[in-house]
Amino acid sequence: MSFLIAQSLINGIILGTLYLLMAIGFTLAFGVMRIVNFAHGEFYMIGAFCALIGVTWLGLPFPVTLALTIAVAILFGALVERVVFRPFRNDELSGMIASLGLAMILQHGALILFGPDPQAFPAIVTGVFKWGSLIVPKSRALALGIGIVILLIFYLFLMHTRHGRALRALVQDQEIAAVFGVRLEIMYALGLGFGVALAAVAGGLMAPLFGVSPFIGATPLLKAFIVVILGGLGSIPGAALAAILLGLIESFTSSFVSASAADIVTFALVIVVLLVRPAGLLGRAET
Amino acid sequence: MSVTSTSTAGGVRPMKLVGAILLTLAATIPWFTGSTFHFHIAVMVCISAMATSGLAVIAWVGQLSLAHAAFAGIGAYTSVLLVVRFDLPVLLGLPAGALVAGAVAFVIGSPLLRLRGVYFVLITFALNELFRLIMLDIPEYSGGSSGIAGIPKISLFGITLSSYQAVYPFALVCLSLVIGLLVLIRRGQLGRRFAAVEENLDLAESSGIPTARTQNIAFTIGSAIAGFAGAFLAHYVGFISPETFGFQLSVSYVIMLVTGGRLALWGPLVGALFLTPLPEFLRGAVEYQHIIYGVVLIAVLRFLPQGLVGLPAQLAQKGGRA
Repeated sequence: MSFLIAQSLINGIILGTLYLLMAIGFTLAFGVMRIVNFAHGEFYMIGAFCALIGVTWLGLPFPVTLALTIAVAILFGALVERVVFRPFRNDELSGMIASLGLAMILQHGALILFGPDPQAFPAIVTGVFKWGSLIVPKSRALALGIGIVILLIFYLFLMHTRHGRALRALVQDQEIAAVFGVRLEIMYALGLGFGVALAAVAGGLMAPLFGVSPFIGATPLLKAFIVVILGGLGSIPGAALAAILLGLIESFTSSFVSASAADIVTFALVIVVLLVRPAGLLGRAET
Repeated sequence: MSVTSTSTAGGVRPMKLVGAILLTLAATIPWFTGSTFHFHIAVMVCISAMATSGLAVIAWVGQLSLAHAAFAGIGAYTSVLLVVRFDLPVLLGLPAGALVAGAVAFVIGSPLLRLRGVYFVLITFALNELFRLIMLDIPEYSGGSSGIAGIPKISLFGITLSSYQAVYPFALVCLSLVIGLLVLIRRGQLGRRFAAVEENLDLAESSGIPTARTQNIAFTIGSAIAGFAGAFLAHYVGFISPETFGFQLSVSYVIMLVTGGRLALWGPLVGALFLTPLPEFLRGAVEYQHIIYGVVLIAVLRFLPQGLVGLPAQLAQKGGRA
């Protein structure tokens, strides 16, 4: 029994880290630009395809591929911000509807380019780590390790660099930030670019575990969505707390009850949180 | 933003007449061509236009629902289960579907509608997902992921409308009734209350309009219409599953509404009329169809904030300025 609990705990933390990678970009887009980005899952899908192209078509090593994926994703995010989202900067609802259109374009674009069939991704590492009766596949441990490193780098960027501070200032108050010389044109593009990059990295990290297809974006979008609602739209610490919580809830419910029960429980939880405390666990109330 | 702006602008009267003539002509196209396929598209336009009209009623009080497909699903399953299990005539199943969908909306409406803007969209998105998951979890009623097939066709007083040609007049009648209801609401006191709530909720509240109740009335009416359209769809297509009423369907209703015109009376009809036949002319290229939907949606949001319905007025305004 205690073995099952420990195994669930580890699985939950792995899931939570990946959900966090997805959720930060989603919550950043809302915090900075007030856009609920329904296309966020498609950026995960694009990241997975970038990794696939890098590793199998170009034959690059996995770390180089990931670095390239990040670079491509930042540029792509900035482009999307400029072309699709910028006209709707002061209109939350239209921005969100536009993101629905963007999601359709990206998903079906990928469908035309790559076809509907899932594509296998060559394993980066094989084998398992074993501690007593605990088992962690090395591929998952690798995804977890890289995920944590990237999250730490992003945290340092956010807390200790000029642009990071500017981003946080924007989340708190756009007008005051602008008055203090934060350049909105650059920071909007940067904010979305980083968000897209984190989603793309999550896609690249998960590609070896789950395979790649144009439809893989839907589930991560749902998870990011749940995490961000629970943590509070726009709140990064809230997202961190909620991501780990969601990972643990899912892992424990599916070990001890069933996987479909886990989904129903989390969605019911989302609805209750929205009704009782729309600002989420750690979000600030709207004024 | 004002809902009456289009009817007060000069030179709109003849435009309305032209619009009415065009719509009537469009409705008769299948009889001219006689093609079964065109009858099928025409019926699909009617069903989409009905469902989108329901979404429009909710949009009139300033809320955008992403749970519209779920309410269509509630209506569809209500009607199908009543007809299949209790041998109820389909003609009673359709309004029963509307009734149950409306009742569910009424009950959950008052807590939901405390949320506004994107928060309301998010909670309705979660609700639609919850509906799908719960339906998948009770296969004894929903048919699970393989759905329910062989649903009885619509029959009127003993005559089964089995061919596309036979269903189409009935679909036109239903659509006319739904649009008639929308016109009644829009012209009446309720419509003015809706407009006031949409325009400025706080001002409406302080002017003595019970805003919460008004929004709930709109949500209930709109969702009931969705239930009716969903039930119609189920009996017309003959197959439903929980996946039929997923996120994608909700999104396509939103796309039709926004493309037609979010606040215009004729927006839902124009949106459905423009977007439903579009994929049929691109057959064999379903992927391109969705890309076109996406591009149309973003372009309309960007350049035609009042939707296609607002296009003549927008052109007239430009012409007047030049």
